[in-house]
This record gives sequence, C-alpha cells and structure tokens, in this order.
Amino acid sequence: MKTLFRFLFKILKIAALVYGILFAVFYYDLDGKFMYYIWEPLMIKRFDNMKRPDATAMPYSMKESVE
Amino acid sequence: MAFGLKDIKAKYRELFVVEKSPEEKNQPKDIKKMARDFWYGKPHEERRLGDLYVGNTGLYKHREWRGFKDTMYYFNMIWLYNYAHMVTDIMEYGGGPQGIVEFAKGTMRYRWMGQTYLTVMHWFDRGLEGARGETMKASAWHYRGMVSETIRQFMRMFEADKKLHGGEENELWKKTIAHNETLSGNIFYGWRDQLDDVALEMIPYFVSVHVNNHTVLNYIDAAQSIGLPSDPCPMCQAEYGLFVQDDYPDYSPVMLTTNEACDGSVATSVLQDWFLNRPLYAMPQPMRYDDPLVQKHCQKEIEGAWKFVEENFGIKMNWDLYVEHAKNFNKLTEFEWEKWDVAANTPYYPITGVAQALYRIYYSQDGDRQIWHDMDAHVKRIMDKCVKNKIETFPKTRHRAIAWSCAPLYYSHWCTWAYNCWGINCVINMDSLMFDQYLRTDTYEHALEDLSWFNEKAPMRAMAVGGQEHILSLFDYMERFNCDMVIMYDQLQCKGMQGIHGVFEDEFRKRNIHAIWVPHALPDKRTVSRAEIRDIINDYMTTVMREEPLDPTLLDFDDSGSW
Amino acid sequence: MKDLVHIFELEDLLQEANNPLVRQAKADGKRALGYTCYFMPEVLLDLPGCFSVRLRAPRSGSPDMATYYMSNRTCMYGRCLLERALEGGFNFLDAQMATETCTVTCRFQEHLQLMDIIKNPDFFCEFTDVPFKKNENSIEHYMGQLQSHVLDKLKEHFDIDTSDEALLKAIEEHNEICRLISEIGSYRKLDEPTITGWEFSVIQLATLVCPKYLIIDKLRDIAEQLKTRTPDAKKTYRCKVVLSGSEMDDPDFVKLIEECGALVVADRHCYGSLPGREEIVVKEGETPLYAIARHYLETSQCPRFMDQHVMRERKQFLADVAKEYKADAIIITQMKFCEYWSYERTIDTLVIPRDFGYPVCSIEREYVNNAVGQLRTRFQAFVESIELKNLQKEG
Repeated sequence: MKTLFRFLFKILKIAALVYGILFAVFYYDLDGKFMYYIWEPLMIKRFDNMKRPDATAMPYSMKESVE
Repeated sequence: MAFGLKDIKAKYRELFVVEKSPEEKNQPKDIKKMARDFWYGKPHEERRLGDLYVGNTGLYKHREWRGFKDTMYYFNMIWLYNYAHMVTDIMEYGGGPQGIVEFAKGTMRYRWMGQTYLTVMHWFDRGLEGARGETMKASAWHYRGMVSETIRQFMRMFEADKKLHGGEENELWKKTIAHNETLSGNIFYGWRDQLDDVALEMIPYFVSVHVNNHTVLNYIDAAQSIGLPSDPCPMCQAEYGLFVQDDYPDYSPVMLTTNEACDGSVATSVLQDWFLNRPLYAMPQPMRYDDPLVQKHCQKEIEGAWKFVEENFGIKMNWDLYVEHAKNFNKLTEFEWEKWDVAANTPYYPITGVAQALYRIYYSQDGDRQIWHDMDAHVKRIMDKCVKNKIETFPKTRHRAIAWSCAPLYYSHWCTWAYNCWGINCVINMDSLMFDQYLRTDTYEHALEDLSWFNEKAPMRAMAVGGQEHILSLFDYMERFNCDMVIMYDQLQCKGMQGIHGVFEDEFRKRNIHAIWVPHALPDKRTVSRAEIRDIINDYMTTVMREEPLDPTLLDFDDSGSW
Repeated sequence: MKDLVHIFELEDLLQEANNPLVRQAKADGKRALGYTCYFMPEVLLDLPGCFSVRLRAPRSGSPDMATYYMSNRTCMYGRCLLERALEGGFNFLDAQMATETCTVTCRFQEHLQLMDIIKNPDFFCEFTDVPFKKNENSIEHYMGQLQSHVLDKLKEHFDIDTSDEALLKAIEEHNEICRLISEIGSYRKLDEPTITGWEFSVIQLATLVCPKYLIIDKLRDIAEQLKTRTPDAKKTYRCKVVLSGSEMDDPDFVKLIEECGALVVADRHCYGSLPGREEIVVKEGETPLYAIARHYLETSQCPRFMDQHVMRERKQFLADVAKEYKADAIIITQMKFCEYWSYERTIDTLVIPRDFGYPVCSIEREYVNNAVGQLRTRFQAFVESIELKNLQKEG
C-alpha cells in the first residue's frame, strides 16, 4: 500500500513538474519564441530552396462543354 | 562568433523582462493592491499591454496576467486544451495515428502549412488580448471551432493529395470535391455521406493569412511574377499565386468555381483553370440578385453543379441528406440571429469583434459541420449566463462601432486593439451579415429557391453588388445595432468599394456620422502596415473625438515582424 | 493612299458625345439611349423612335470630381464617363441602359441613378443582369432580362414600339450596318490592306456613337470607294498586328501604333468589330428577342464568361483572327485597373506565343493616353523584334 502511495505521489510529482514546466512555456511565450526564432526560419529556408515545376508549362488544350 | 554574458543578459532582457514605467518604479509597494491585481488582474487603464511585446515580433515577454482565475482558464482551457486537441484532431481526421505521418508530410511539403499553422496559438493570443471572463471564454470557443475545422480540411487534403502520395490517385482523391473558397459548402450537402467537399483556397490562403500573414506574400509575388499587374484584388492574386508556386494540394479530380464577388474573382478562374487543367464547372450567381427574374436562372445553375458532381463521381445526390444538413444549418442561423439580437440590444454580448467576424464567415461558408454546433452550444451557455446575470462584457466601451466593407486579413484583430486602447467596441461587421437566409426544406422548389438566395448573399457580394442600395444599407444596420461609429474598411484594390468611395464620404458628412477610413490591402501588409492603421485611428480619436487612450502603451508600437 | 471619303467628318463626330448627328436625331424627336457595354444590345436601343449612343468621354483631361467619388484606383474609363456626366456632357441622354458587367462602369451608372446628375426630367437608368455563361439557361435568362429591363421600360417611358415586327425591322437595319462594316473591314484581310487601322477604328466608332440612320449613307460611300482603292506603291508599314484587349475607344492610340510601323488589321476589343459587327440571324422557330439574346451571348468574347470551354476557346478565337487577317503579331492592351483584362492579358501573353506562335506585346494603358513616349518606344521595339523574327524565318 505504501509503495502504491509512494508511486502515486511520484506520478503526482512528475505531473506537477510537467504542469509547472508547461505553465512556464505558456507564460513566457516559449512556444511563440521557438516558432518565431527557430521553426519559422528553418521552414522559410526549406520552402525557399524547394524545387518547383514551372506552372506555366501546363498545356492549355480545348475542353468539352460540361453543360 | 563571440557571444558573451553581456549579450545573453541583453537578450534575456529583450525577450523576457518587462520594463517598468518610471511612475511604477517610484510607487511604494502596495501589497494589498498587488494581491488584488494577482487575483483579479489589473484594471484596464493600468494593464500596459504594449509593454509586453518583444520588439517588432508581436511575441510576448510574458503572456498577459489576466488575474488568477482567467489566467488559469487561459492556460488550461485555451492553451493546453487547444494544443492537446490539435493532436487528437489530427489523429481523428487523419484516421488514427497514421494521421500524424500525413500531417508531417503536408507540413514539410506546403509553405502555407509548415510556415503558418504551427503558430496558431498566437492567433488566439492576438484575438483575445485583454479579454476577460466570459468574453475570453466565448471568443476562445469560436477560435477552437475554426482550428478544428481547419485541421479537418487540411487533413482531408493531405490524405487525398496526389503530390504527397507519389502521384497516385487514391480512393480519397476520387471522393473529394474541390471548389473555390467563395462557393458555399452547402451546395454539396447531398453527398456528405459518400464524398467530402473541401474549398481549395480556404486553408492554403484565407485562414492562413489570419494565423500568419508572412506566407501569403510569397503567393502574391508569385502571381505578379508571371505578368499580372499589381492592382487587382490581392486575394485573387494569392489564390492563383498558390498555383504558380505549385503549392496547392492535388486532392480532387474536379473543380467547381463561382463569380463571388467581383471581376477579379471571375478572372482568377481563368488562370486557376489553366493550372488545374481538369473538368471545371462554373456556377455563377446573378449580379442583380434582388430581381425576381434572376432566381430561376440561378437555381438552374445550382442544379447544373449537382449534375456535374453526379456525372463526375457517379454518385446520385441524396436529397434527404441535403434536407438534414440544411435543417441543421438553420439551427446555426437561428443562433446567429440570437447573437445579433444580444449584440444589438444589450451590453452583454460576450464575443470580440474579430471572433464574431471570423467565425461567422468561416462556418457560413463552410456549411453544416458538427463542430459548429458543439461550439455554439458552449457559446450559447456563456451568452445566456451573461444576459441572465447582466454581465457587461465590454465595460470600457466608449463607442459602439460597425465595421463595413472587407477587413484587413492581416489585421483582423484590430478591433481587439481598438477596444483595449480606445474603448471602441466593434459590435458587428459586414461579413457577419452575409448569408442571412433561412433554408426552407418543405419542398424541392422552396429548398432550391432559398439555396439560391443563400448563395446570392455570399460574402462581399451581398453588399457589394446588385445595386448601391446594398452597400448603403450600412446606415440601416448602424441603427439596428445601435452603433455611433463606423470603421470604414478601405480596401485599396477593391474596385467595387473604391468606386463608391465619394458617396460614402458625402453620406457620412450629411448624416454627421463619425467614420474612420481604414485603408488596407486585404492580405498584403506591405501596402498599409498595421502601425499605419493604428495611427489613423489614433489620429481620429485624438484630433476629432478629443479622447484620451485607455492604455497609452498601445498607441505606438512596432509589430511589423509579427505573424 | 487617297483620303477616304467622309473620314474627317466622321473623325469630327468623335470629338464629343453630344455630336451634331446626335443633336439632329434629338431634333427629329428621337430618344437618346446611352450604354457602355456590348452586352446591352444596341439593336434594341435602335428601335424606331430612339437611338443608341455608346458612351465615350473624348478629349478628357484629369477627372478630378469623379476621382473624388471613385478614387484614383479605379478604371479611368469609368471615371472619365462620370466626370463627363458631372460636367453636363451627357445631359442629352433620355435614358441609360445599364449593365452590371464590369465593376467600375457599373458604379458609374449607379452614380447616375443615385445622384441626379443627368439634367433631363425624362432620364432614367435601368440595369440588366447579364449571365456569365453561354448555355441555354443563360440565353433564356438574358432574354427575360432584356424584355423586362429594356423593352418594357422603353415602352413604358417613351412608348416605343417593341413588337416582334419592330424588332425584326431593327435587326434588318442593324444587319445592314454590320454588313457594311464587315465589308469595309474585310479590306484589312488583303495582303496589302487598302484601309488603315486608324481609318477603320474611326468608322467603327462612329457607328457606335452616332444615330445609324444618319451615317449609313456615309458608310455606303466608303464601302463603294474601297472597292477601287489601291494601296500605296511603297509599303508604309513594317508588320501587321491584331489589336486586342479591353475598352478602347481612342483612334489616336491606333494611330500611335501605326506610326511605329505596325498596321492594325484587326480589332478584337470592347469597342471593336471582332466580335461586334456580325449579323443577327433569326433562326426558324426563334422569336426576334431570343435570337438577339442568343446572338449577343454567342458572339461575345468577353473575359467574364466562365464556362471552361469558352474560357479556352477565347485564345483560339484570337489566334484565328490573327490568321484570318494575316497578322504577324498581337498587341494586347488593358485599361489600367480592369481586372478582367489584367488576367486575360496575362494568360494571353503566356499562351498565345507558346501555343499559336504569335508574338505578343502586352500593354497596360490609361483612358487618357499621356504615356505616348513610353508606348512609342515599346511599339517600336516590338516592331523591330517582329522584323528580326521574320528575317530569321526567311534566312
């Protein structure tokens, strides 16, 4: 029983710690800062360097009426 | 690169430390007040929200302390809740844990996804800045609905997308209808059991601008790179710029388009048709929509769209299903009317101007989906509580404003700022008043009649076309919603609105109405910046209204790099 | 070439909207009906007792008052029309038969409704809804609109005879004009055309802005003279071009192109004859009004049509015109702020050279053409590039 309580207490402590860390992330806008300073520049680099086909090479053939 | 302790300290101060004002520094410590502020949050005039920003980024040194209860609500029921639900939504709409894989593929493939949507919690922050209590809660539910529906749509796109599956036309590709974002989802109710309809530009372009306006600039530039002049509506430019950049998901064998609401919208179809190069059905709406003679024509075009879907997917339209969804949608409309009633006639309306505008335009364009009903149930409970307990939701209201014409997408949250800074409470806006149509379902004829009316009253076109009396109905709505001020959006590239500019000037003068013209270029923040918009409102409030700001720190700040 | 008979007289008639022939027709007791767009069938406005005037604002300067009302970010054609109306230049109009076919001309016409600008007690402005497709549903809808918003209103306000007989007669007279214009225009197809683009544009415009019964004899004289007109011994142009695009009612713009060495042999734009001057055919079993509605929808090549096959056929049509008129290239002009043609010009500029092999010069212009120097440079360079291409081909 004691072990169980100790285990539950440990879980509770971990949960409290995680909750506290999440609150810090929330309060200090760490998610925003991560996105702004790290994630977005990486993505911009990735998408700027992405090879893209020439859209204007698409054929422009006649189509049947869909009426 | 040398990076000393001094730099770290400076960076730390820049990112995390809110500098106190000289008055605050000189004030003796008042423990009682500190405890009160901790529990209830600071009074409106003492919040100094402008001090929270990190440089020009729009990030917060720390998120706003709204009092213990509201901060914990925000943390638990908005921030944590939404992050957690985003993950579960991705799995739910993506058919289980493999949804995460599809999501990751989409994130790495599309700029509008990878660069934009992960910053979504800041969209909440911007829209809910300064909001407290029931206002914060009700508005956040609106945002939650929009996020969930956005996830549903992009997950469907990714799952069906040929580009993410090595060019393979999978089963979902064959069962998804692509349509222009200005064509209402209600056209496709009759297939919702077997097919799904997803607006092509809604997620890649429209919603993305609200969440993070950086991405769209690439599409506008791409549109002009093939020779389009810069003056057409930038929304239309971005809509086909996606194609020039090959940044559209290929998730459907067909495309349906329409002519809402302007010449640019029609013309965009020409280029989209070229780049999509697949069967396309145009379902144009009549321009002079008040004319009883146009209704039959419009109804036949809707029937034509149904025939097109039936022929291309080989599935008959299920009329009973249409009726079921239309009836459900009417419930949303009924609640919208209830909201308007509360907004118009009481000070207890608990939704911020930006949440009202975005949610309304989103769900009415999207059509009946369960998420909207779920969200409305939450909001109704809160609104009823506000009315019953006479909770003044915007207690610092000095002016009740109506916003007219189309809004700056990159600054749709201007109304949050305007309330926090000046007490301008944007009660209602033009986009909310669209689609104002109940859908009868008692007979096929009635259903079709109302459906055509519904589509004729779609965003922008309801007010902007079919005669100047529609756009000039502003003055009736102003009266109906008890407004004493107009925020007149001045979309610089909207020919329809520019073409009637002087008449509004004359009318405002004649009727002695306080109207603030807010120039903008829809999604493109480069034409008129957010700071310039604020300057215009500040100037009017100080020079014409001779008022003092509620929060002077919000008068002038730089958010040029913000999402 | 020898001067074309009546050409300077017709050119003079283009100097103001209320020209001497319009005044003469008004003095004859006829009603002047204004319109701006091909989708308002002029044949209906030319019924006995009235006549059509397609609105222009010649010799416009800076449209200051209209810019107050419509800002400087709208098409200058719409603004110049409003300016002219505010100045009193359209007071001769008895009615404006309006269409909501492009945003800015629509707003211009709404101002006429809203602001009591036209100082004529009989004046009214009536809008017609014009469909975006060419299918049967659209023809029927359009016919209903024309009946209700054009014919019924003319009957109600001015007691105009709108019977089928009257319509058939109007069609006959209209077709006579079309035949003459087509005949005159056909000389542009010759290897060495015997009519210049400027001359043709003056003639075509005159038929749009003058009472037709007062100019038909002049057209007959011109057609007669063209039968024997011979080209200059020495070619005065270096290449032949099609002029395509949005609203274009300025013969001086055509002259500018021709001064740069490109003979304009075909006019596929809002005020042009391709399409515009095809005869109306009343098929068996059709009412005259149905035939008119069908004709205007079928013949129009306006970029506001949204049927997929129609959007695509427009490019083929343009290439066919270039081939038929033996043009070397195409100039596509777009009125600044015209959204339809912004897009159409973009796609034409990319697809026409690629798929049909015609070089394209893509131009954005203002209604009041102040950028003559820049345009001249553009056109000269374009002509040189075509000559080079032709030389390369020959080599």
